[in-house]
Amino acid sequence: MATDMIKIAGVSKVYDTTQRGRHVALGDISIDIAEGQFVSILGPSGCGKSTLLYILGGFVEATTGQVLVNGQKVTGPGPDRGPVFQEFALFPWKTVLGNVMYGPLQQGLSKEAATARARELLVLVHLQNYEGFYPKELSGGMKQRVALARTLAYGPKILLMDEPFGALDAYTRTRLQNELLDIWGRDRKTVMFVTHSVEEAVFLSDRVFVMTKSPGHIRKVFDIDLPRPRVRAELLLDRRYQDYVIAIERLMDEQIEEIA
Amino acid sequence: MARLNAIPGVPVLIACLAILLIWDLLSRVVMVSGLPPPWGALQEVPVILTDKESLVNILASLRRMSIGFSLAVAFAVPVGLLMGRSRLVAAFFNPLFMIIYPVPKAALMPIIMLWLGVGEMSKILVIFLGVSLPVIYHSYQGSKAVEEKMLWSAAAMGLGPMARLLRVVFPAALPEIMVGCRTGVVLALITMVTSEMIARQTGIGNIFFNALDMAQYDTVYAMIIVIGILGFLCDWGFEAVRRMLLGWAAPVHDIAVGSA
Amino acid sequence: MSALHAVWRRNISETLAGALPIVLALGIWYVISAWNFAPASLLPSPVTVFRRFLVLLGDPQFLQNAGATLYRLFVGFGIAVMLGIGIGILAAGNRTVAALMQPVIRVLAPVPKIALYPALVLMFGFDHSSKIALVVADALFPILLATYQGAVAVDPKLVWSARAAGASQTRCLFTIVLTAALPSILTGARIGLIIACIVVFLAEMILSTDGLGQLLVRAARNFQTVDMFVPIIAISMLGLLLNAAFNMLSKRLLVGFPSQN
Repeated sequence: MATDMIKIAGVSKVYDTTQRGRHVALGDISIDIAEGQFVSILGPSGCGKSTLLYILGGFVEATTGQVLVNGQKVTGPGPDRGPVFQEFALFPWKTVLGNVMYGPLQQGLSKEAATARARELLVLVHLQNYEGFYPKELSGGMKQRVALARTLAYGPKILLMDEPFGALDAYTRTRLQNELLDIWGRDRKTVMFVTHSVEEAVFLSDRVFVMTKSPGHIRKVFDIDLPRPRVRAELLLDRRYQDYVIAIERLMDEQIEEIA
Repeated sequence: MARLNAIPGVPVLIACLAILLIWDLLSRVVMVSGLPPPWGALQEVPVILTDKESLVNILASLRRMSIGFSLAVAFAVPVGLLMGRSRLVAAFFNPLFMIIYPVPKAALMPIIMLWLGVGEMSKILVIFLGVSLPVIYHSYQGSKAVEEKMLWSAAAMGLGPMARLLRVVFPAALPEIMVGCRTGVVLALITMVTSEMIARQTGIGNIFFNALDMAQYDTVYAMIIVIGILGFLCDWGFEAVRRMLLGWAAPVHDIAVGSA
Repeated sequence: MSALHAVWRRNISETLAGALPIVLALGIWYVISAWNFAPASLLPSPVTVFRRFLVLLGDPQFLQNAGATLYRLFVGFGIAVMLGIGIGILAAGNRTVAALMQPVIRVLAPVPKIALYPALVLMFGFDHSSKIALVVADALFPILLATYQGAVAVDPKLVWSARAAGASQTRCLFTIVLTAALPSILTGARIGLIIACIVVFLAEMILSTDGLGQLLVRAARNFQTVDMFVPIIAISMLGLLLNAAFNMLSKRLLVGFPSQN
């Protein structure tokens, strides 16, 4: 089971900005992620963690190094890797149902089959009563549920989540974390989750990669050995959970001191 | 190519050469009837610009254009600023301007000439009418967008309403006003050329139709080149002024096109 | 309840304020002509003008001229829309096209297109084609620029979402980018439509054998002042109607988009 689904080897990203010369967004990153693992990338803003995710998605080209998914070199976006963005990126001109149907239709499903598939997913994210709504009529949490359903609808093996709950209020955020774990527990997709919240990373993940400030390197890897299914209220009292959070917080404090 | 493009002026020169090349191809290879090769027209340009009579004509046109433009700006900016700060003033003028907007201003030339005669007054008035609306519109938008809190701070510092309009609203709206002026200066040229082509009495329109009547096609095309260069210079000169005055403001991309 | 009342009262007073200058202008026009401050040969009464307008609306010759104007306007606008959206989207999707296009547009956009008209007449003759060509030249740039700017401003994550779902790059450009840029494209097209309306009239005034613009010139030559006003009113009302129709169409097309001011 522990085959490496994702192999990121020596990936870096340098932007050629015309005015200020070269900007190194991402240092030299090498990560292996096993199939079915929930992995978080944790780091301060601007460390390039999202860039890493975009490179894995095939949206942005790496300057050096390469990314292998199932042994295949990543050369562009593909339906095996589904992104979920902080900004939702829903198609504003499509209804909730239309957004979720988009992937299945692109995959060549008939209209009826795509509708059925989309409805299934809307039930999964508890939005079955909103299929005729337009994104602008939904709250942030609902929009992110639609975005998740839209991505799940074309059946990616890997979920690429780019601070998906970063724009939501604390209450919605917690609820969606629980729902995400619930959905993940059903078929255990490989997830790469980018966040700057330590608690979120520890609560959700099997492994947490902590990155340094720009240009980002991997500072340390934490294997989160906590039982699943995880229940927040229980974890908060769990000594091991507290230790992980404290250890990571300390590590990040150190970085701040090093800069200061 | 990219490095060459970075030198100011070079892309524009290349573009001009490309336009001339396409023109040449159209005239000699595709043999569009009525389209002579560009070189004859280009040779005619210095002839026009050194001919005393046509030079007087062109300068007189430019003089009318600048007077009409200046009057329009002097009238339009205060009106626009007031509209942006007072709902009542905006409500008063908006429907009127909405009705005037699709009226072809240069087409009023025959009627205005009926009233004011063929002299300078009519021509300046038409240019004034053509320029006013876009300048009012942009001043209005700029002044409407001024942040309320900036005005509160100014009021707290003891500035009266007039002083606030002059010393806060005006500078804050200046970038948008300049966009309106840039559109306006191009429109002034357009209105000027159009109205003179309709009136056919003096100025640029006169040169055009004399040449057409005498079948001096090279002169017709040379006149187009002269007017084209004038248009480009007006736009480019205004952009240069704007950048000098408003280095602090973000560059504004606007559709600097219009019609009389 | 009283808050609602206040809003109502403000709306009414604003509508009245807006109607005031229009009513005032018409009133002054009426008074000047009715009390003979200006001879009817210079300024006919608004009543005469509108009556003449209504009569001409039933006149086959007038309608034929109006038809010629409309034909040129719509054909030219249609070509400008297709070219503008096509080139704009291509430039947004391809850096080489954009690099080639940008300087050419910087040079050509501020050129008064009306100056091309004598040349267009030389090339295409006095009939429809020269006017259509001028309408295309004039309406093209606002549409092209709005399309390009709108398409470039589309959130790349929208495209990425579609690409990950399996849509090809070209497909994304013509479905996702084009649709996401629609609010900007429609704004540009509306400006282009009004410009087309104005410029076709002006072209007909400068050199033509028919059309609304030509009617105005003909009336001016014969000092028929009333008939000078009618074409201008006709073309302005046409512009207003087209503007309103276009806004209605936009509202329908832009369902789901956040509303614009």
